[in-house]
Amino acid sequence: MRRKIGLAELENIAMGAAVLGTGGGGDPYIGKLMAAQAIREYGPVELVTVDEVPDDDMTVAIAMMGAPTVMVEKIPGGRECIDAFKAVQSFLGKPIKYVYSIEAGGINSTIPITLAAQLHLPLLDLDGMGRAFPEIQMVTHTLFGITATPFTMADEKGNSAVLSTIDNRWMETFARSIAVNMGATAHIGCYAATGKQQREAAVHGTMSLAEKIGATIFKARADHANVLRAIQDVTGAFLVFHGKLIDVQRRTVAGFARGEAILDGIGVDAGSQMTIEFQNENLIAKRDGAAVVTVPDLITMIEEDTGEPITTEQLRYGYRVFVLGIPSHEHWRTTQGLKVVGPRYFGYDVDFTPVEQRFRN
Amino acid sequence: MALWTVTEIDAEAIAIGAGILGTGGGGNPYLGKLRLQKLLRAGHTVAVIDIEDLPLDALIVEVGTMGAPTVGIEKLPSADESRRPVEALQAYIGKSIDALICSEIGGANSVEPLIVGALTGKPVVDADGMGRAFPELQMSTHFIGGVACFPAALADEKGNKIVFGHLLNPAQLERFARDICVLMGCRAMYAMALMTGQQARDTSVPRTLSLARKVGEAVLLARKTKDHITDAILAVTDGKALFAGKLLDVQRKTTGGFARGSLRIEGQDAYRGAWLHIAFQNENLIAWDGSATERGSVLACVPDLICLIETDTGEPITTEQLRYGLRVVVLAIPCTNRLRTPEALNVIGPAAFGYPDVDYRPMPKTPGIGIE
Repeated sequence: MRRKIGLAELENIAMGAAVLGTGGGGDPYIGKLMAAQAIREYGPVELVTVDEVPDDDMTVAIAMMGAPTVMVEKIPGGRECIDAFKAVQSFLGKPIKYVYSIEAGGINSTIPITLAAQLHLPLLDLDGMGRAFPEIQMVTHTLFGITATPFTMADEKGNSAVLSTIDNRWMETFARSIAVNMGATAHIGCYAATGKQQREAAVHGTMSLAEKIGATIFKARADHANVLRAIQDVTGAFLVFHGKLIDVQRRTVAGFARGEAILDGIGVDAGSQMTIEFQNENLIAKRDGAAVVTVPDLITMIEEDTGEPITTEQLRYGYRVFVLGIPSHEHWRTTQGLKVVGPRYFGYDVDFTPVEQRFRN
Repeated sequence: MALWTVTEIDAEAIAIGAGILGTGGGGNPYLGKLRLQKLLRAGHTVAVIDIEDLPLDALIVEVGTMGAPTVGIEKLPSADESRRPVEALQAYIGKSIDALICSEIGGANSVEPLIVGALTGKPVVDADGMGRAFPELQMSTHFIGGVACFPAALADEKGNKIVFGHLLNPAQLERFARDICVLMGCRAMYAMALMTGQQARDTSVPRTLSLARKVGEAVLLARKTKDHITDAILAVTDGKALFAGKLLDVQRKTTGGFARGSLRIEGQDAYRGAWLHIAFQNENLIAWDGSATERGSVLACVPDLICLIETDTGEPITTEQLRYGLRVVVLAIPCTNRLRTPEALNVIGPAAFGYPDVDYRPMPKTPGIGIE
């Protein structure tokens, strides 16, 4: 199926991407402004489902990496995406016919839209996570042996680099260092894959899902309907906790925003406390000390009245929120998937239990 | 047209000469020498060509290794690691590179291009980008002379490769590459400073591989004939003896990835009663006279070379080998004129190393002897 992404669709995608960002992924706001400008200038972007892509056609992910806090302040120059894209193409020595989002959660939902508009390339309706994750190798493509190489980086000053590594974990190591030296953010091109590979390895339909979540939130608000219920209907989210933010600890360690948020229960949850620990994204939610939702399932906080998703950098005392648990894609729930993004990878001594086994709607 | 073809004995002599031209740093060429000799024994050959014989449009690139010399001794390169950066760079530019050149003749990077030459069959230009050793990538006559700092390739022994396609300036290259080098395990191979034959003629320090060999041969001969080794070194380098004595004190700290420090030498024989102070950052930077406790006036400083030679063996002493009790002769050797321009002194003069109060007064040079 093919359809157009214009300004209205973009608005919805950015809102939905914040829900899928599970607290991180970078604020989609700046990315949305860039994409909106590109759509105004070059016209709407064609969104294509993976079944339309010939087996051998090449696709590439275009994204931003770095510290979300810096992305808000250091505005891109506008040429970086194109530089990163062209560098991948010249390394591969063949044309790339589609772009895609490596991370549907947060800012990287909209970054590839900018490039797709600028170069008149179709955008694939899929991503490599079905959410947001903090590190380069945390992509479903990794689980299917697809390499991040050639990995290209560009910054607003004109610096650029091409990386080839022996595995995707090494790519995270080197790319993080270069991103820091580029000024804590960089545009990247990576995970070039054929249509055939995308059918197997990607998380399908996530651009449409983000758009649908966004549209649902806006409509529920306009109708003065129950935003929480609307989000649950479209995402399959479980209500994990209702509470008020009473404390946030935050520190920036090795290029990441790490910390924890503490919530006092409200209503049916009164008398209980929830702690949510994060590394850019929310990683684990503990109710009275016991883990109830963990990565790779999504933990998203939405503001009680507006349904607005709250990112970890926005957390502050006094917010009243619903904590949602959303089941992750099945790729992440395999033994192999949990090795890459399970709670133990992030240093938690707990086993992953699917959110739907602990909660009922 | 080959000027000479490297033999195992040449490798021995170059390693000795490069140790002296390393001016206290540059890493130990010993392991590289062994690798080169092994390749030569296995039937590989490497030709050294004169810079004047290079076609003006030939493509030349510096190859070498960067990182902590202390790690370089422990983490040995894999068999074909040295050729990977050149291959990555060739793939990136889509062209074949015609010849290799040394980035720094002082220390380990003197033999590295010869190893890559032996592995790839590419000739090595008889020249380098320093005429000595320096701690940072931007400290090169190639970059100072306007050779672009991109594209530049880094590779490690595991198979990781990174090509910097565009960088603002050589100092940025140093910054990006240094951090990657640390992540690669504190030692990485590089290919950088891609230049034409014309640019090499305009910016390189010529005939320094030959000079390193000549210095090494002079040392080997003096050892055999039991002649004064330091006299033999001075005769071919146009240097002078600054001091002789016993090392009394070394202060060392590792900051910002460098071995920085200072030392004191108490004079012996002709220098009895006098003192010499030296400051170093990987390489020896400045030598002062003075008292036991106070530095006096500057006797020699960067970019001229300050070399410590062990009195008995004639072996150069690197800054990481410095220790109490060593008997040393201190030599000063005039550097290339390419490092004496105002533009060069901005990058490698005393002020660039944190000594803004030290004025560089060039040592006199005798035409036709030593570093050109």
